Amino acid sequence: MLVSLRLLLLTFWLGCLAAPTGQAATVVIVSSELSPAYAQAAESLERELERTGWSRHDMLQLTAAELAGAGVLTPKLFVALGAQAANALALAPLKAPVLCALLPRSSFERVLRSSGRKASSQFSALYLDQPLSRQLGLIQLALPEARRIGVLWGPDSQAQAPTLRTLAQARGLTLLEANVEQGELLFPGLKAALEGADVLLALADPQVFNSSSIQNILLTSFRAGVPLVAFSPAYVRAGALLALHVTPEQIGQQAATIVGGVLQGKALSVTPLYSQDFSVAVNEHVARSLGLRLDAVALRTLLRQREAAP
Amino acid sequence: MLASTLRLLGALICQLGSVGLAMAQASDGAAAANATALSEADFLTEMPVVLSVSRLPQRLDETPGAVTIIDRDMIRLSGARDVADLLRLVPGFQTSTAFETGAPLASYHGGFDAYSVRMQVLVDGRSVYSPYFFGGTGSGLETVALADIERIEVLRGSNSAAYGARAMLGVVNIITRHTVDTLGLQAGLSAGENGVRDAQARVGWGKEDASYRLTVDRRADDGLAGSNGHNLISRVNFRADLRVNARDEIQLRAGSLAIDAGKGLFGYADNAPRESSLGSGYLQLDWRRNLGQDQDIAFSASHGEETYRDNFPYVRIPGLSFDFGGRSSSDTVSLQHTLRYNSNVRFVWGGEFRREQVSSKPLYNTDAALVTDFTRLFGNAEWRLSQDLILNAGAMAEKSNMSGDSVAPRLMLNWHVVGGQTLRAGVSRAFRPPSTFETSGDIRYALNSVVLQAVSVSRGNIQSESILAREIGYLGEFPKLAASLDVRVFHEQIGGFVRRQQYALPAGTTLYPSNPWDFINDEDFAIQGVEYQLKWRPWQGAQLIFNQAYTDIGSAELGGSALAAPKLASSLTFFQKLPGGLDLSLMHQDSGTVTPQGGGIDSKQAMTRTDLRLGLPLRFGPKRGELALVVQNLGSPYQDYRKTFFFERRAFVSLQLEN
Repeated sequence: MLVSLRLLLLTFWLGCLAAPTGQAATVVIVSSELSPAYAQAAESLERELERTGWSRHDMLQLTAAELAGAGVLTPKLFVALGAQAANALALAPLKAPVLCALLPRSSFERVLRSSGRKASSQFSALYLDQPLSRQLGLIQLALPEARRIGVLWGPDSQAQAPTLRTLAQARGLTLLEANVEQGELLFPGLKAALEGADVLLALADPQVFNSSSIQNILLTSFRAGVPLVAFSPAYVRAGALLALHVTPEQIGQQAATIVGGVLQGKALSVTPLYSQDFSVAVNEHVARSLGLRLDAVALRTLLRQREAAP
Repeated sequence: MLASTLRLLGALICQLGSVGLAMAQASDGAAAANATALSEADFLTEMPVVLSVSRLPQRLDETPGAVTIIDRDMIRLSGARDVADLLRLVPGFQTSTAFETGAPLASYHGGFDAYSVRMQVLVDGRSVYSPYFFGGTGSGLETVALADIERIEVLRGSNSAAYGARAMLGVVNIITRHTVDTLGLQAGLSAGENGVRDAQARVGWGKEDASYRLTVDRRADDGLAGSNGHNLISRVNFRADLRVNARDEIQLRAGSLAIDAGKGLFGYADNAPRESSLGSGYLQLDWRRNLGQDQDIAFSASHGEETYRDNFPYVRIPGLSFDFGGRSSSDTVSLQHTLRYNSNVRFVWGGEFRREQVSSKPLYNTDAALVTDFTRLFGNAEWRLSQDLILNAGAMAEKSNMSGDSVAPRLMLNWHVVGGQTLRAGVSRAFRPPSTFETSGDIRYALNSVVLQAVSVSRGNIQSESILAREIGYLGEFPKLAASLDVRVFHEQIGGFVRRQQYALPAGTTLYPSNPWDFINDEDFAIQGVEYQLKWRPWQGAQLIFNQAYTDIGSAELGGSALAAPKLASSLTFFQKLPGGLDLSLMHQDSGTVTPQGGGIDSKQAMTRTDLRLGLPLRFGPKRGELALVVQNLGSPYQDYRKTFFFERRAFVSLQLEN
């Protein structure tokens, strides 16, 4: 009897110890889902915070679905990983600021529109997509003779067109643009963007670039001898020549720097940020068949150096 | 036969139309599912591997041999009306426009015979080598309309290790355009001197994952002056590209070809002027499965058949007629696996079975079909020894029920000395198995069941002829000068060259004494020399291509085989983009003395030919086109094929329209 009572007490005590300290967490990380990319970003974020003196007890990880049932949370900062998590946090009545990460710019802007929020020091973002100037910079580094850049605009990417035109002009590049409207066939646009192009720049838009269209885009551009510069390493594995992207680990690390600042009393940047760090992926087989020798690490280093130069 | 092929083709197109529709509907569903808003998923989701290992071709400076590429621009600017005429632009080639042996001929390093049997021709990977007669490639070069060709890759050299026996002196690889690139309507017309009347129309339809093309065309002219060579080529070609899922892709091709040509010589009873016709049809299925980023597998099955009609009465003996007609077919299945072992080693290996059947009572004196089976196993490895050193090693083992076993190996080392400068050295062995006619030909002329005379009776004492090709190559790119240079120095040792020889049949075998032809392995000799191509863009909108080939054939048959290729042949091509988008082309060709042996031992000839083309681009809204004037042979007529045949000036106008 006594033994059982002791056991019960011990269990209770242990239970208290092990109980989620969520309510007391300083940083709450909300992921859209549990797939590897989110887990990598969260892990990298926690590791980096740990390295700078924070304890894992100060951090709580939830999925967007678990948020509603998590009770009252009073952290100093929320970090949303993914658009769904950002949306859930945007709609929740929170006092603490929210940093939305691992989502592209247009997703963040959609969250703002649907929640009636504005980007502010209470609700800001670290984008997953790469700034257009950096993408043009990579093209000029990797393919210095390329002058004419084919671009396929879709409903989601269209908004970037004026910026890209301005940037391209400033760099002495010509754009060969084509629109792919909702429900329309891809190839008339693709043909127009490829004709005379030295390179095809892919800008994320599910209407234009998706797992069923990529076959046609890559085969047609390869037949035309026009390399594809894409936005994720998956496209490079599929057959794109190059991709400029940021890894979930890099996002986690930079999010940790921002989180660390907020925890030390700094405000979130009112203007959403693009990641400072990034990666370059090269398909060496495609490069070789095009007669190019490209080194992903060297390209990243050079691009970083150029960005750092005054 | 042709009618049945066309019926089959019609039925196939209807079937494919419905399959395509079903697939298009399925893909509409997929598109709808994809039509979601942009999110991080677009950046994080895995994609199917598209440019799998076998889709990535070797660079020109890493291929195990000299390759000349004729692309669509070159085809258009050349003003050529068929592939044989285009091959004039490739160093080391001899061509003829005559239809005396069925179709215009092209051969590399020597027109040793009437059918160009020592070359291999592939159309989208299918060998179009004809098993009829002595074998042959003339009709195969005519398989598709020029408007459907994406590019022609010409391997200058031997490559049995990759293309099987017969790839002995040159491989012509014709690659047709993808159906996605030929959607919509397109048509072309040409008309002018010498009865030039060409017409072509194409319709392309479908969606990204199921697209189709149907092209019909005809090419006609009055042939060479002095010949009976008016000719008409009629073609129908169909191609479908179907993507079943992210991993599997199917291509279907079908087509038919008819060549109606006048041939024969006026005043020759045994080669009287007459009409001949060759009809052929084919079906081809290709399936490719992607097994990830580093390997894929390709299966191919094809059937081809041809019917030849060519007969005439022998006026000196009433009741007797000469006939060369018959049929042949070929069936091929092949499986090929491409594997990237690591970033430095790539393998291709596989097997092929091919059955060829020839039946012709007049040529073989039997009603039975003569069957030749080939079983082939091949493997090629591309091994990057270092960043600048690539070794290509390969071999093909071939077993044939007619010519036994052979192994054709090839070894080539490419060295990028410095950026843009590549040296290549290698050796390869190739074979040509004797053709059905060379082993079993049996032509006897009979009247009322009495055999008057035997003209050709093969005794079958013949082996494959072989070649041992050694070469050194150089490829230089000079970007600052906008120039490139491709040089090939070669020594091609031919062993057991097949030649016909007369022998006497025992008295009494035929009514009149007979000295029929037989085919034997005759002399060994070497073909050696050097050829090069210089390409230069000297100023804006201009391109200059200069080719030269020095060929020395060491045959003891001085007026014949030794002159099967000219000692020196040169060509200069100049393209210039003029104001208003006008395209000017000037092509000049100068070839030393040569004896095209199909034209007879007395057909010794040298030639000079200059062609001019002016093309005016047209635009009506989204529709595009071109109006062109072509003048072939601006100078005086030159001898082509036979002593009495001449290529006179031909001016014609062509109009192309495309939506």
